[in-house]
Amino acid sequence: MSLMMWTEKYRPRTLDEMVDQEEIVARLKGFVKTKNVPHCLFAGPPGTGKTTAALCLAHDLYGENYHDYIMELNASDERGINVIRETVKTFARSMAIGEVPFKLLILDEADNMTADAQQALRRIMERYTETCRFILIANYSARIIEPIQSRCAPFRFTYLKPEHIAARLKFIAENEGVELLESGVKAILEVSEGDLRKAINTLQAAASLGKPIDEEVVYSVVGRANPAQVREMIELAMSGKFIEARQLLRELIWRYGVAGTDLIRQIHAQIFKMDIPDRWRIRIAEAIGEFDFRLVMGANEEVQLSALLARLAEFGQLMGRGA
Amino acid sequence: MAHELWTVKYRPRTLSEVIGNEKAKATLLEWAKAWKEGRVPEKKAAFLYGPPGTGKTVTVQALANDLGFDLIETNASDFRTEEQIERLVGPAAFSYSLFGKPKMILFDELDGITGTADAGGLSAIMKLIRRARCPIALIANNPWDPRFRPLREMCLMVEFKRVSSREIMKLLQRICEREGIAADREALAFIAKRADGDVRSAIMDLQAVAQGRKRLTYDDVAWLGMRDRKKEIFRVLGNVFHAESCSRALSATREADVDLDMLFEWIYENVPRAYKDPREVARAMDALSKADIFKGRIIRTQDWGLGRYVTTLMTAGVALAKEHKPGFVRFQFPERIRYLARGKSERELQMAIARAIKRACHVSTREAREKIIPYLRVIFQNNPEMAAGIARWLGLDEEAINFLAADKKKAKQIISIVKGA
Repeated sequence: MSLMMWTEKYRPRTLDEMVDQEEIVARLKGFVKTKNVPHCLFAGPPGTGKTTAALCLAHDLYGENYHDYIMELNASDERGINVIRETVKTFARSMAIGEVPFKLLILDEADNMTADAQQALRRIMERYTETCRFILIANYSARIIEPIQSRCAPFRFTYLKPEHIAARLKFIAENEGVELLESGVKAILEVSEGDLRKAINTLQAAASLGKPIDEEVVYSVVGRANPAQVREMIELAMSGKFIEARQLLRELIWRYGVAGTDLIRQIHAQIFKMDIPDRWRIRIAEAIGEFDFRLVMGANEEVQLSALLARLAEFGQLMGRGA
Repeated sequence: MAHELWTVKYRPRTLSEVIGNEKAKATLLEWAKAWKEGRVPEKKAAFLYGPPGTGKTVTVQALANDLGFDLIETNASDFRTEEQIERLVGPAAFSYSLFGKPKMILFDELDGITGTADAGGLSAIMKLIRRARCPIALIANNPWDPRFRPLREMCLMVEFKRVSSREIMKLLQRICEREGIAADREALAFIAKRADGDVRSAIMDLQAVAQGRKRLTYDDVAWLGMRDRKKEIFRVLGNVFHAESCSRALSATREADVDLDMLFEWIYENVPRAYKDPREVARAMDALSKADIFKGRIIRTQDWGLGRYVTTLMTAGVALAKEHKPGFVRFQFPERIRYLARGKSERELQMAIARAIKRACHVSTREAREKIIPYLRVIFQNNPEMAAGIARWLGLDEEAINFLAADKKKAKQIISIVKGA
């Protein structure tokens, strides 16, 4: 059994190895043939091959040592305008050495950039086109400012077809000597929601249990990987147990190190999975949105999130859920 | 000189006037005498440590005075970098003085030396000790700070303990006699007990209540008790949660001498204990949420004037959130303060793991935390072989492995595989 993350071990290295997103791959191969790449915007849901496509393109363009010609940045870690001004500019303006006259800058999660940073980026893209081409990767292209969009060739990545994900999972399982049952495949497809990375991670975690992988194994892994705590926290709050809910919140923040923005997103997602009447869901979602905003404005995540829990407790009472 | 501080006015001039810590004083006397008689003791430096106000600095001063040393004093406010230390005390440390008095060097408040701003400060002191030809005394409250470890090994360690309230009381008695104050026994006993072994704070308190009086009774000192932090905060909290108007709630903080950030934590902790109705709790928490937004604005703009809105929201905003008058509330210490002290390292550990994943898997640290670490936990808790492979591949250290495995035995197993390969 392999001893690294399978998502990396089985990440395609070349465009030829990419089995999905056929249209996109064909266009990218065209770029390789002419040794010319425009600025690109790869948009689409997570786990659909955007980063992989960018890396494969770089590989095919520059060969095995492609790492010398590219820079990978992740905007959600380096979203400030300073990174754009310093790091990106320094990389973009230096000349490329070799057959291909430009370098490639892969900017992942570009939709997480502030508008200011995007404006700065736009200038740099314009100014250093000769020496550097940009591949912007985003979940939502709408969050990229119009002037950048108009400078990029758009690529829309779509959800992978379930049969493709299933084929990939079976291939990996066979290669790793793992017994993957049909009910296991179905369960993984169900929980991974078209996200191949999530599917492979689920498979690897399930394989770590050392049993034939069936439905039950998959759900137990998913249960362990996604502690019910967020849901439990919401349920405690809604049944009027605010102090206990806040205690759980503290556990999540201080013991598990979950970031406030991550938590609020999970709370939002849970509201739509729990048994709550639709008209209440809308009102609750609105409240969550308000606190998501305050989280950014405030000084202290825990205070904002507990204020949200107190709101949920109030909703619980209004809905007649309270104890 | 009515404005002179009594702590200065009654500072001991000779060792015999320093109260308490007999053993420490004897040890230091012997050490300094050796120097005086030209025998260099085994440890050239003495490290005096213990809680504040137990007489560390005055002991060194009195000792130097008694034995005729010229004391060169430095404290955190004046020495900082290696260069400054050399300039300040170097000449005294390395040259024998043929004329005049022999020297003694004192580094006070070592706790204040920081690793970054005072680059090389501690190592400069160690160098100095190795080459010194005169006695060197070091003082810190907490000598167990890891930074001091190499220093500890080369020093004579001398512990100063809290001074007994009986000793403190006798001292207060002497001061009152000199000031011409007739003090009741109970009054002085109260001050001495409150000081909890800190002589300096006892003298400060005595001056605060007794200066200019002819007589000092128990009633005169009892109000000092109001300054006790916890009692004071309970009183303010009670006033905030029971207030029925803005002005009442606001005046609760104005009358009191409490740190407003700390008060915020206390109120935040106790809102759900004071209020029971979810609507009241939600409204009060909403006020705290808005107060926190103003805190955020202060951080961003450095406009401290916005603090008044924080205060208004956290007191009046919380007070007016209620519809029913709360009954007796058992206030609790802010859990958040405790969590902050403990949880930070785990959070940092998780970030370190996320950064390792980011490098290897082409994802952001957020995605790593959200979408990969949860699966790693499952793997690390179930499959040591696979976990060890991944740990090696990601370059995780033992701390990170322990964190992911969340089980000492499992982690040990994984670590031994990692090492074995």
